[in-house]
Amino acid sequence: MAAAYFSDEPLPGGAHDPDHTGFNFQQLELAAGAAVDPYFRLDTNLVFSPFGVEIEEAYATTLALSLGLQARLGQFLTGFGRLNAQHPHAWDFSDQPFELTRVFGGEGGRGLGGELSWLVPLDWHVELAVAVTEAAGEETARSFYGESDLGVDSPKDLLYTTTLEQFVPLSESWSLLGGLSGAFGPNSSGRDNHTDVYGADLYLKYRPIDEPEPTVVTLQAEWLYRRRQVPDDLLRDHGGFVQGTWRFARRWAGSLRYEFGSPARGEDGAVAFDPLDPEWTRARHRASAALTFLPSEFSRLRLQGNHDVPRWRNSITAVFLAAEVLIGAHGAHSF
Amino acid sequence: MNRLRRLLVTLFALCELLLFAGSASAELRVVTTTPDLAAIAKAVGGQRVKVTALALASQDPHFVDARPHLALELSKADLLIVVGAELEAGWLPALLTGSRNGKIQPGSPGYLDASTLVDLLDVPKAKVDRSQGDIHPSGSPHYLLDPRRAERVAVGIGRRLAELDAGGRDAYLAATKAFVGELRTARQLHEKKLERLRGRPIIGYHRSLSYLADWLGLEVVDHLEPKPGIPPNPRHVAQVVELGRARKVAGLVQEAWFASGTSKLAAEKMGVPLVVIPGMTNFQGGQSYVQFIAMLATKLEGLK
Repeated sequence: MAAAYFSDEPLPGGAHDPDHTGFNFQQLELAAGAAVDPYFRLDTNLVFSPFGVEIEEAYATTLALSLGLQARLGQFLTGFGRLNAQHPHAWDFSDQPFELTRVFGGEGGRGLGGELSWLVPLDWHVELAVAVTEAAGEETARSFYGESDLGVDSPKDLLYTTTLEQFVPLSESWSLLGGLSGAFGPNSSGRDNHTDVYGADLYLKYRPIDEPEPTVVTLQAEWLYRRRQVPDDLLRDHGGFVQGTWRFARRWAGSLRYEFGSPARGEDGAVAFDPLDPEWTRARHRASAALTFLPSEFSRLRLQGNHDVPRWRNSITAVFLAAEVLIGAHGAHSF
Repeated sequence: MNRLRRLLVTLFALCELLLFAGSASAELRVVTTTPDLAAIAKAVGGQRVKVTALALASQDPHFVDARPHLALELSKADLLIVVGAELEAGWLPALLTGSRNGKIQPGSPGYLDASTLVDLLDVPKAKVDRSQGDIHPSGSPHYLLDPRRAERVAVGIGRRLAELDAGGRDAYLAATKAFVGELRTARQLHEKKLERLRGRPIIGYHRSLSYLADWLGLEVVDHLEPKPGIPPNPRHVAQVVELGRARKVAGLVQEAWFASGTSKLAAEKMGVPLVVIPGMTNFQGGQSYVQFIAMLATKLEGLK
């Protein structure tokens, strides 16, 4: 839930971002997950909003395939990058980075299908995954079929997401996670037209283990490069974000974020007409700062300020005060 | 086509090499969540086991980062021993799913919940919810601060190792007997030395000292945290100081992973010593469980 103020009409953002001055109900998430038997577990996530209920995720995960393999089947957020697979309540900011909204949609890259991942049998942590999902979804596969589902006539009409993730425990207190991702699928601009998205992500975490300090410092960045085939042209654009969070006391954290998104350029290098975002003709920058108070692990209050500078129109300044509470069995945190 | 086939064969061969490179070892790979369990497992398993602990002795075991390389460690394990009673609920499940190891999933022979081997204290009698703080609904998981319960855990671990590795049954039995004997002798010595503390009141930081109190006959009269998991606030600390003075407590006891600023101040105001105890065995530093208990007892001698 957030009380928000916008100095001007905001640009379309994440489906659960505050989007108007006044009170915004971001989301009510109901998560249920359990082991079904020694072979599978089921995880589900339902999201309730004033507009209705939606299945955000509902997937089965295998627990005991051999050779370090694991499969997921159902509807799930793909592992592209790092932030995409995290649920909004785990984010350091109360809104989605605009590059993710632009490339995947307000709900993040999500699809119905299957995924096979492999924990490579090396001495350090390397994980490879390939997911095959439906390419349609106005808010989940925007750069692909998006809102016009042209159907599946061959395997080329599905969305493939590949990810390579590497974790390096630099020391007991420092951790580094780096990944490369790709998403390949058809888009709705014409027969046999495809979209390729390439991404790189980095996450650095410092948590001093030897002292009884609550300090945690994290730095993360993601960069996405997208190529779309459209009739008579090849559109290319890129963007991303870099953000840092400093948990300086047991119950307080401060965060800063900078985001960038380029306009779509055609094969000749000039800014071209972008059928998905026709008004995005120049670069867009956004800077955000947030102060979060965490009375316990289950509740959170955040004051966030954004200054959004889309160079094709007026800039927008926004301030929100968001609250979040969690009940139920304590779900485990992933790293 | 020929070149492609050769490439595929080479790739396959490489894969085979990689797959088998790691699996040629006769030792049982045991992974534990806390270093206390690791120290006990090593004492009982001896040369036939290779033991790793996921958490460090300097970390609060409720809040371990589920770093992905720990899932890698779990993927190679034959036996996983956990403290249970929801101590690891905040971080272990994600690692277990990511480990892709069917042998160590809850309910399998390769999964041992040590809390099933001992009787737990602080089991809530009435309905609990989070308005009372971060309560453990099945009881307190800090039972390894009591060497008598550690004996029972050792016997349970020895039994499970014998089930998984029948060839080593005699070795595990002998090692368990030796460990329990050594621990019992040491324990009785410490009990004698700390006899004067029987019945004495102390103040704790977090609600985690029940088993220590049960072993040495101490009485924990209050805690600096107003509710488990909620940091101390000045009003509550003032109340605790008043109670401490009135009851003439022997001292303030807390684990090393908590910040000691507030505790130092409170102890000074009460005119009693602040005793900082090691929270868990420093297994990664080569300490054994018996040595950990000895260090614990030595620190507690600082109480009035």
